[in-house]
Amino acid sequence: MPHPLSLTINGEPYTLLVEPYCSLLDMLRDQLQLTGTKKGCDEGDCGACTVLMNGKTVTSCMVLALDARDQEIITVEGLRQGNTLHPVQAAFVQYGGVQCGFCTPGLIMSGVGLLLENPQPTEEEVRFAIGGNLCRCTGYSKVVQAILKAAETMQAQAS
Amino acid sequence: MPDSKVLGHSYPRVDAADKVSGRSQYASDVYLPGMLMCKVLKSPKPHARILHIDTSRAQNLPGVRAVITGRDVPDARFGNGAVKDKRLFALDKVRYIGEPVAAVAAVDEITALEALDLIDMTYEDLPVVTDPIAALRPDAPLVHEDLPSYEGYKPTMRGNICTVLDADRGDVDTAFAQADHVFEDTFHSQGINQGYLEAMACVANVDPSGRINVWTSTQAPYQIRATLAEVIAQPMSRIRIIPMELGGGFGAKLRLCVEAYPVLLSLHTGKPVKLIATREETFTLSGFRLPTIVYLKTGVRSDGTIVAREAISIFDMGAHLGAGVQSGVSHTLGPYNIPNYRMRSYAVYTNKIWAGSYRASGVADVTFAVESHTDIIARRLGLDPWEFRKLNAFNEGDLALQGGTIPRNGLHETMDAVKQHLGWPRTAKAGTGVGLAMCQWRSGSGPSTASISLLEDGTVSLLTGSVDISGTDTVFAQIAAETLGVRMDDVVIARRDTDLAPFTGPSGGSRIIYSQGKAVQMAAADARDKLIALAAERLDVQPGMLTCANGRVFVTEAPERGYTLGQLVRMSLTSAAGPIMGTASLSAMPFAPIFSTQAAEVAVDQETGKVRVVRFVQAQDVGVAINPMAVEGQIDGGAVQGIGRAITEEVVIKDGKILNPSLTTYLMPMAADVPSIENILVQVPTDDGPFGARAVAEPPGFGPPAAIANAIEDAVGVRIKELPLSAEKILRALHGEPSASTELDHDLLQQLRGSNGPG
Repeated sequence: MPHPLSLTINGEPYTLLVEPYCSLLDMLRDQLQLTGTKKGCDEGDCGACTVLMNGKTVTSCMVLALDARDQEIITVEGLRQGNTLHPVQAAFVQYGGVQCGFCTPGLIMSGVGLLLENPQPTEEEVRFAIGGNLCRCTGYSKVVQAILKAAETMQAQAS
Repeated sequence: MPDSKVLGHSYPRVDAADKVSGRSQYASDVYLPGMLMCKVLKSPKPHARILHIDTSRAQNLPGVRAVITGRDVPDARFGNGAVKDKRLFALDKVRYIGEPVAAVAAVDEITALEALDLIDMTYEDLPVVTDPIAALRPDAPLVHEDLPSYEGYKPTMRGNICTVLDADRGDVDTAFAQADHVFEDTFHSQGINQGYLEAMACVANVDPSGRINVWTSTQAPYQIRATLAEVIAQPMSRIRIIPMELGGGFGAKLRLCVEAYPVLLSLHTGKPVKLIATREETFTLSGFRLPTIVYLKTGVRSDGTIVAREAISIFDMGAHLGAGVQSGVSHTLGPYNIPNYRMRSYAVYTNKIWAGSYRASGVADVTFAVESHTDIIARRLGLDPWEFRKLNAFNEGDLALQGGTIPRNGLHETMDAVKQHLGWPRTAKAGTGVGLAMCQWRSGSGPSTASISLLEDGTVSLLTGSVDISGTDTVFAQIAAETLGVRMDDVVIARRDTDLAPFTGPSGGSRIIYSQGKAVQMAAADARDKLIALAAERLDVQPGMLTCANGRVFVTEAPERGYTLGQLVRMSLTSAAGPIMGTASLSAMPFAPIFSTQAAEVAVDQETGKVRVVRFVQAQDVGVAINPMAVEGQIDGGAVQGIGRAITEEVVIKDGKILNPSLTTYLMPMAADVPSIENILVQVPTDDGPFGARAVAEPPGFGPPAAIANAIEDAVGVRIKELPLSAEKILRALHGEPSASTELDHDLLQQLRGSNGPG
């Protein structure tokens, strides 16, 4: 039996009907076609489905959609302001943090989540913060560099 | 005028903005109205006769639209390799756990899964063989009793042996007899999953007109079109493959994999059908690498010169012949000039999932053996491992295994670069050590095409059939821009599918930039020559007097005389020759080797046996780095895959059952597990690659297992010859406990030395 659910996604209010077993990930993808959030394993290991829930990173495959009731969800589609990429997105482009791109939305959300909590992370802190995001293409070097560069950009913008 | 020199610049990937915005479309992102979901029922038995299949209960489940088995599809065999030994569904017997036996289309995934449970299968168990050595015995159960009746069968295939390859040069036995020292070692590698983040996914939709549209995650759209046509018994022209953004493949998506199931179910139901594999199915529904055994014997003179090599390798192929066995005769010399050799390589069937491809299949396994063995010899002879390698390394003009001689290359430069970067010989502190490994591959060849259209405003549209698996579209744009003298931003890469783009080879084997990039360069040059010819006619000058650069064609000596490309394209619309288009087609490229030198620095925890890679340095001859950031990205990623292969990754298979088909238990490196890779790009151009480029992507993953094994011995004095280099094995060795014997039986070796093999 589907249940009603109200929540905010990328700043927009939504009310929908979801099955009790439906994950937040499947709801985002299958019901709303917000397909930027990726399903890499569906068991919380790969991090490709990472989104922000009330400013904290969660693996959306491990969250039941109904548990997101009244929460604020930000997905990778919600980061861009108009045509301007979020600094973390822009740094991934500029510094080669993107290859096949399948893990990229999750890595970016983890990077954004980290910088919300810790605007000036060390390399070690970045590696720890993305420690739940598997990437098979990049070897992480350029991903880590991109997040560190984004932190610099955001600091410069804030000051 | 804009600076049109685009070579050597680290342009961001042309697809990066879409990818970081979550807007790139992968196959699983395709949703069509009325779409059904497909699930595949797989064999729970490693080897069994199928006595009975009853699908009636499944068919009667509400929401189920179709159930198909081997009885409902054309009777066709296909293959991953030289012999057609596979079917879409097991027919009379199953040969491995995971072999598809039926497929279901239902209104949603949950109903499809429920239907699988309602398919009644009756099996009769057959004797199982999962160890390739046991499979070589004359009395071993046969995985394919009917092998001689298969298309592609050769008389060398006997029992469970499905490939025998050999290569010989000189007089090996005399050379061993005359050598001052002879060394023998046997190495074992492990099962390795490719670890692509995007599991296989496909949507098929058969139009009422009979056109079969397939949106899929593939490296090889034209090759799967051909195989699909064969197995569904339809003309190739009816099939349209739309390769979607590829979320990693590394070889796993080079061949027809899951596409046929949704296609057949769409043919049955007339509806769109989608299949998304689970993570578990990336282990059970698609082949990965199975273990390899490599025996090496090497004769060396007292001065360190290697005079003879014998290499015997056994590749576990699982239930169907796949890739890898070639590496046993093409890479067992290493990058060394060895005058006498005998190489034998066997592929053996067992009751396991078929061995798939992964980043130059088999070469990492063989490189682990060769480069561990090289270090063992150097240490036993009291020679510096770097000097010993340097003494024996190929020089330009040495005989190449592939035939002909070794062309100009940067092998020695990569050795020198790593030596200098590390300050070799390096004395590491207690518990840490440094190890070297050398890697070799060849720039990939194969059929390649490209087509370029010049647009009326002077911008450029480039069409190739290649799937971008590694940033190649960006480099194609750079090649086209450089050749035509336009800005990078003026080149657009057309979206392609098999209806639109001309045939090309698959994206794999480090083939795309060297071969496909060459076709792009040739097509751009073709278009440029046509622009110049038109300008020459209109300016009434000889074509040789003109230059095409900065978005114009102009008289070299009088640059003010000329036309913009846009003007020329508009003129061409009414010219005798018609609109400007450039095309190119080639089938093969000359041999161009790639060499690299890698060094790992490790710290070994002597309490736990755990190894940590502290530094990883690699110098690779890339020919010319058209896009250095893309090149480094490829090399970084390969090295980290290699570090995983070295230390933590292992598909554990017991009695044919995969025990860890999950990312919780199959351990790939995470960001915190690895250092930033230190890359040195050596650039010794090739004669034939586009602007001198070599291929890049394969070698970085080959060396880490040996470099790390060598570093472990340097650190704590123990030698591990079996991958992965796990904490458990290292701790046992540190405690002096004997590890399981890795040596091959003497009689078996003797049989394998002959070219007929055992039995």
